Amino acid sequence: MAVRSFQARLLYLLIAILVLLDAGTLISVYFAGQRTLRNTVTEQLRVGSRVLNRILDTRARQLSDSLRVLALDFAFREAVASADVPTITSVLANHGSRIAADAVVLVQLDGIVTADTLGGRLSRKPFPFAGLLRDAQNRGEASATVSFANRPYQFVIVPVLAPRPIAWVCAGFEIDDRVLTDVRRLTSLDISIWSGSAGSPLAPDESKYATLFEPLPTGDGSRVNALLARDLEEAQKPFRKLELQIFALSTIVLIVAVFAAVIFARSVSQPLRVLAEGAGRVERGDYVTPIVVQQEDEIGHLATAFNQMQSAIATREDEIRYQATHDALTGLPNRTLFLDRLSYAIAGAKRNVGSPVGPSVGMIMMDVDRFKEINDTLGHQVGDQLLIDIGRRLEHTLRQSDTVARLGGDEFAVMFTAPTFKHAEDVAARIVGAFDAPIILGDVSIDVNASLGIALYPAHADDAGTLMRHADIAMYDAKREHSGIAVYEPGRDEHTLRRLSLIMDLRQAITRDELELYFQPKADVESERVVHAEALVRWNHPRHGVMRPDEFIPLAEQSGKIGLITKWVIRKAIAQCAEWRRDGLDLTIAVNLSALDLFDSELPIFISGLLTEARLPPASLVLEITESAVMKDAAFAQKMLADLKRRGVCLAIDDFGTGYSSLAHLKRLPVDELKIDKSFVLNLSESAADDLVIVRSTIELGHNMGLVVIAEGVETAESWAILKRLGCDMAQGYFMTKPLPAEAFKAWLRASSWGN
Amino acid sequence: MKVTVRLIAAVLAAAIATPLAAATIEARVTDPRGNPVRDAVVYAIPDGRPLPLAKKSAVMDQKNRMFIPHVLPVQVGTAVRFPNSDDIRHQVYSFSPAKTFQLPLYAGTPATPLVFDKAGVVVLGCNIHDQMSAFIIVVDTPYFDKTAADGRASLGGLESGRYTLHVWYPDMRTEPQPQNVTLKSDERMTVSFVGHGRS
Repeated sequence: MAVRSFQARLLYLLIAILVLLDAGTLISVYFAGQRTLRNTVTEQLRVGSRVLNRILDTRARQLSDSLRVLALDFAFREAVASADVPTITSVLANHGSRIAADAVVLVQLDGIVTADTLGGRLSRKPFPFAGLLRDAQNRGEASATVSFANRPYQFVIVPVLAPRPIAWVCAGFEIDDRVLTDVRRLTSLDISIWSGSAGSPLAPDESKYATLFEPLPTGDGSRVNALLARDLEEAQKPFRKLELQIFALSTIVLIVAVFAAVIFARSVSQPLRVLAEGAGRVERGDYVTPIVVQQEDEIGHLATAFNQMQSAIATREDEIRYQATHDALTGLPNRTLFLDRLSYAIAGAKRNVGSPVGPSVGMIMMDVDRFKEINDTLGHQVGDQLLIDIGRRLEHTLRQSDTVARLGGDEFAVMFTAPTFKHAEDVAARIVGAFDAPIILGDVSIDVNASLGIALYPAHADDAGTLMRHADIAMYDAKREHSGIAVYEPGRDEHTLRRLSLIMDLRQAITRDELELYFQPKADVESERVVHAEALVRWNHPRHGVMRPDEFIPLAEQSGKIGLITKWVIRKAIAQCAEWRRDGLDLTIAVNLSALDLFDSELPIFISGLLTEARLPPASLVLEITESAVMKDAAFAQKMLADLKRRGVCLAIDDFGTGYSSLAHLKRLPVDELKIDKSFVLNLSESAADDLVIVRSTIELGHNMGLVVIAEGVETAESWAILKRLGCDMAQGYFMTKPLPAEAFKAWLRASSWGN
Repeated sequence: MKVTVRLIAAVLAAAIATPLAAATIEARVTDPRGNPVRDAVVYAIPDGRPLPLAKKSAVMDQKNRMFIPHVLPVQVGTAVRFPNSDDIRHQVYSFSPAKTFQLPLYAGTPATPLVFDKAGVVVLGCNIHDQMSAFIIVVDTPYFDKTAADGRASLGGLESGRYTLHVWYPDMRTEPQPQNVTLKSDERMTVSFVGHGRS
């Protein structure tokens, strides 16, 4: 469309210019013609006037000559000399007719008319044209145009010589049609001459004639007028013809020019259209078909440039597509490409329902354990190299047709055809086996442990997205259970979704002030007085209501938010402790640390800072660490705990009895307290022998190691009594009260017997 | 030459016939600018005295297509001959009232001279040569003369008595006022005329 409009515009422009040119030419020719016509007609009229005067002059001279010859005729002179009026009159008529005079008058030298051919009308009177006579007396002869008998006349007068002048003979000639015909013939003008002051007898139409009114010079002041008229229609004829020729020529030129313009416009727009089509092909992704323009001009260059651009775009698009679908570090397919291939494979499997291979696609989601630690301790360069090597090992482990992808961070994914669960598990086992040997990077040997989650189509999902999510869930299961490999368990999906949404919400929990501290008292068994308060965090979720730590702390740990929450709890707890102490409640505050907190090497400094700021003795804070957390990386945890201990903070082992910690290990930990897991205490009674044994042994063990022993989950007076009997140092549980918000805790403490 | 000789003879004869006691009029004719007028005829007509007709003769010659002399004063009754000294023919005519005539084409001298018996100016022309013209001034007195190039003319042999002096010349516009003079015996009178018109 744009091409067509360009062609049309070009065409219109050219035609407009040509039409303007033609119109301009025609208009200027017309006006020039009109001007020339006016000038020509004016000139013709002027010339006509001159011609008229010249003809009259010539005629006067000829008439003078004729009259002079006549006046020399001897018989004429003899008759004139005879002084006999009838004789003279007859000779005047006779000789006058020889020269076709209309009137002949003989005048005495003194100006009195002797005789005339007008029946004696002028005789014996002074000659009527005194000026003419005076002229003749001065110059020898004279002529003049006069009005005579209301008609225009030319009069000439010559002397009658004998041989001296003896009289004047005067002849009059009417200016008749013969004279006017001469003028008409010579000038192609219409002419009329009349005497007197009346209007012209010709009276031409002013619109059709150009006229010139010309009073003729007369000998006696009488009025003789000439009117010259030019027929404009006639005068315009040559101009009309010229205009018509130019118009015809212009039209022919215009038509030729329009044809030329069409051809030119097409020669420009046609290759442009080809270019536009070529550009359209490039837009649709056709980078192969070249643009063919057989021209050596700018458009030809443009076409060449288009073709070069086309191949450049193809190359760059390949690069971009590769970058878009591959991981820059390892060169493996990325999440996008993996999802793509997975979808493709599932679609293929759906089509091949009856094939011998079976309609099954398997995938494994793999996460490298403790990769963050490796990165932090050995540096990113080592971390990156490790990821590259892991990718390489995965590729070597698997078949060519399988896909290995890096989804991001330390997360890898593998796709393969898996007719059975067994087959999938084999693949997983092979992967695990691939990392039996440590990866050597320079002089560092790294043991790689990974958690693998398996999910299969069609058993676990019907589409690629779901399959990936399920593999992810299975992987987290494997990680949590330290099992290395886990297969997706149907039904975990809902839980996972809720968990994911909670992870999202958790990000904003602190900023929205949705977290709140609850406190549970720990009482000295001997004195039955509350000495410690354990700070427990609650999440007032806007939709799910109050959530307990065991519901969201694991999520915080997974999503890396646990550090923030721990720090928030510690800050709040210390502030609360300081406040209570100002109110006279001398309590030691206990805070739970996550296993991950133990890897935050800045934590001890943070805690010291807070305590100093709150002017609390370090011993007024107890940090509770679960047994399993300590066991995760015993060496690091030990270093960390030692640091905290050095700063004077009390340390407690939480949930003791659930882990598998060796006593030797426990012995090395710089802890102050031991908290017996509530699972042993809840059902503690005189009749429950097993629990009783465990509790008693634990108390003894703790005391032997010099630790303060605390029992959790005390709910009954019976268990309280047993614990007292067994010598447990402190106890906590619903037997005293459930965890309470700070204000309620304070009120409860003030009111109950547990307070002091 | 022959004509000239005759003319001189005639003048001499007149002078001899004049009595010694005669008076003389010396006339001078000038134009208004004082230039002398040539060929002006000065003539004196005695008051109240009849004069006898002259039995004289004069000649108006035609030579080189010219009349010679251009102005010829004669007394009434003078016979003038018109010899043709050219080798072409002339046809002399006059339409003047003082003497209207024509001499048909001729060569040599016509047999009979023409007698001018009426005072007046006779304008002569040649019918075949338009440019030829001459004047014969016929005066009724024997006392006349023609001015020379210096504008002077002399009238001699006049008897004492009253005279009216006239002047005529060809191109004058109007005749100068005639002058009345009274001559005594032997008087030599000088008279001036101022003419109007071309000299």
